[in-house]
Amino acid sequence: MKMKLVTLMVFVTIYTHAQDLIKEEKINFYGGFESNSQWYLNDKGLKYTHPDIPLRENSYLFLNLKYKNWITGIQVESYEDQALLNFNTRYDKTDVATYFLQYKMDKIDLTAGYFYEQFGSGLLFRSWEDRALGINNSLRGGRVIFKPTSYFTLKSIYGRQRTGFDISNSEIYGVDTEIVLSDLFAMKTSELSFGLTYVGREEEVLTTPNPEYNSLTNGYAARIDYSHNGFYFSSEYSIKSKDAVVEVQGQIEDNFIKAGNALLMNMGYSKKGFGLDGTFRRLENMGFFSERIAKGNAFNDRIMNFVPSLTKQHHYNLANIYVYQSQPSIFLGDETVLKTGEIGGQLDVFYNIKKQTILGGKYGTKIAVNMSNWNALGGDFYLPKKDYKTEFLGFGRKYFSDYNIEITKKWNQKWQTVFTYINQYYNKKLIEETYDLVKTNIIGAEASYKFNDSKSIRVVGEHMWADSDKKNWAASTVELNLNSKLSFFTSDMYNYGNEDSELRNHYYNLGGAFRHKSTRIALSYGRQRGGLVCVGGVCRIVPESSGVSLSLNTTF
Amino acid sequence: MNKLQLVFFFVGLSVLAQKQVPNLSLTNLEGKSLSLKTDFAEKDKLYVFSFWATWCTPCINELDEMNEVQEEWKKTLNFEIIAVATDDSRTQKRVKPLVNGKGWDYKVLLDTNQDFKRALSIVNIPYTIVVKNGEIVHIQNGYVPGNEKELVEKLKTL
Repeated sequence: MKMKLVTLMVFVTIYTHAQDLIKEEKINFYGGFESNSQWYLNDKGLKYTHPDIPLRENSYLFLNLKYKNWITGIQVESYEDQALLNFNTRYDKTDVATYFLQYKMDKIDLTAGYFYEQFGSGLLFRSWEDRALGINNSLRGGRVIFKPTSYFTLKSIYGRQRTGFDISNSEIYGVDTEIVLSDLFAMKTSELSFGLTYVGREEEVLTTPNPEYNSLTNGYAARIDYSHNGFYFSSEYSIKSKDAVVEVQGQIEDNFIKAGNALLMNMGYSKKGFGLDGTFRRLENMGFFSERIAKGNAFNDRIMNFVPSLTKQHHYNLANIYVYQSQPSIFLGDETVLKTGEIGGQLDVFYNIKKQTILGGKYGTKIAVNMSNWNALGGDFYLPKKDYKTEFLGFGRKYFSDYNIEITKKWNQKWQTVFTYINQYYNKKLIEETYDLVKTNIIGAEASYKFNDSKSIRVVGEHMWADSDKKNWAASTVELNLNSKLSFFTSDMYNYGNEDSELRNHYYNLGGAFRHKSTRIALSYGRQRGGLVCVGGVCRIVPESSGVSLSLNTTF
Repeated sequence: MNKLQLVFFFVGLSVLAQKQVPNLSLTNLEGKSLSLKTDFAEKDKLYVFSFWATWCTPCINELDEMNEVQEEWKKTLNFEIIAVATDDSRTQKRVKPLVNGKGWDYKVLLDTNQDFKRALSIVNIPYTIVVKNGEIVHIQNGYVPGNEKELVEKLKTL
């Protein structure tokens, strides 16, 4: 703590003395501030009682200073009096969260302190920040990026991962190389590149005196990217060495030891007005955390790799009730819940019906079709003694599927409409390790109308038919943009089909947002539906709540 | 230390500062690495970097609208729109077919681990910056229908 304050003071001193240099334009200073606060209120209708500390705020101040090839930065975070509900409790009070010093040239880039990095698609390693989800798994250590030519890059990293305002109990090493062969051989019409990755995690084994697995867990990956004219293909394969399995959070199973692997393949073709993209992914025991025991924690804390669910991220409220969460890990519950990973794929088609045709009209019509299907891995499972043998292309029980189509049509300068149909299959029992299977059909329709060059309105109506769990829902949103600076919205989600009449709740919200240059202030009042909040295929569980929220962000 | 004082102190300082575009390299859809400093450096040309993602509807609306009018604008203005996809590896593969499916005539940059977005402290997208001679001369935060007209009027003054 003392060290951190000293660091903060050093930065302040630098900044203070920087003023003269700024005037001479030698120093570039930039940063941002974000604050999200919530005032939780009692709500009789929801039978919701606010927490003991009803007023909470998460805020982030990010400051950077650049001088010639040097960049230094610091991020201060504040969670007062406590973090928003269901954020990691390790985010507590105000403190310096991250800091770094970077020296950057064309061929070499050196960083000391906290840094973010991703190797390949992130199957083995990604450190990133997502404030809405409370994820900041940056590494504290050092990074060297060496790029001697345009076609070769070598990255090496060492560090310990951030958890809350602390760091986790392990060391992470990594090396990643990428070679762009099409540059090397001056290919004109094709792009071809290869990459190789190594990631190691060294965490002392404390649960058993004679472990049958190593304290160092190794991960290796190889990847290829190829494209020629409108066609492209990429693939990545990774393996993770033998390690103790953690099925239930907090319990390291020293006698259940397994290796992991992952295969990701993507190919597509596109030309003007048409795009086709297909992805296949198979994950087996690919949960990877900087501490073994962290697996399964609800905050995505200490997560080392990035294996998001590969499904379409819908913007309709009702399509975000049954959201798939990727299933990289092992859980052998009983004969009906046998999870060792996932296998499946996603297909996207984008098509633009040309202008001045019967279906295209004056402005063209845009169609997007998306399909995804995910199953558990198939194979042989030996339950009492906990072991398994998977088949490479074996399909187990189905987790999830989503088939959807979206048609966007601009009718004239004033009117635009979007129509969406979504069909989802959500195996709640298998995904959440609870019970129930939900099949849904969702329709969404929206229309926007432009009154003039700055005033517009958007109206959305949605309905979901669900055959179990909370059953049917209806929802609507009205958004009014008064001018380019000021917007208001009101929305409601109504669970009218719930079998329990006491739970037929409205989840209403109303609010406004003001924005000017790089500043945005938003204020809203209403009810938060309990469930998953997902950003980029990673989810956080939020409890049902009610209250006023204020968010402010700006950059400078 | 008083948090608020600290904030005001830095905001005050920043008024003096020139806002330079960060020194980063991002890959385009063909896998080629482009430097923000050297590859977008034509003298007095306006570079409009529009931050978007495949899952962000207002972003796509904005880029759809600007795609319709950019040829018209180019008759009087020396400018170029660059669509910066902030999609992470979950949705990044959808960028290329979507851009082509929509028929957008933009240079597209992939900000896969959000280095560019983070360097500018961007919280919400859509978010648009205008860069002239390596300096950020205008910021537009968010998008509502009609903003593109306001933007072109602004570009004429820069």
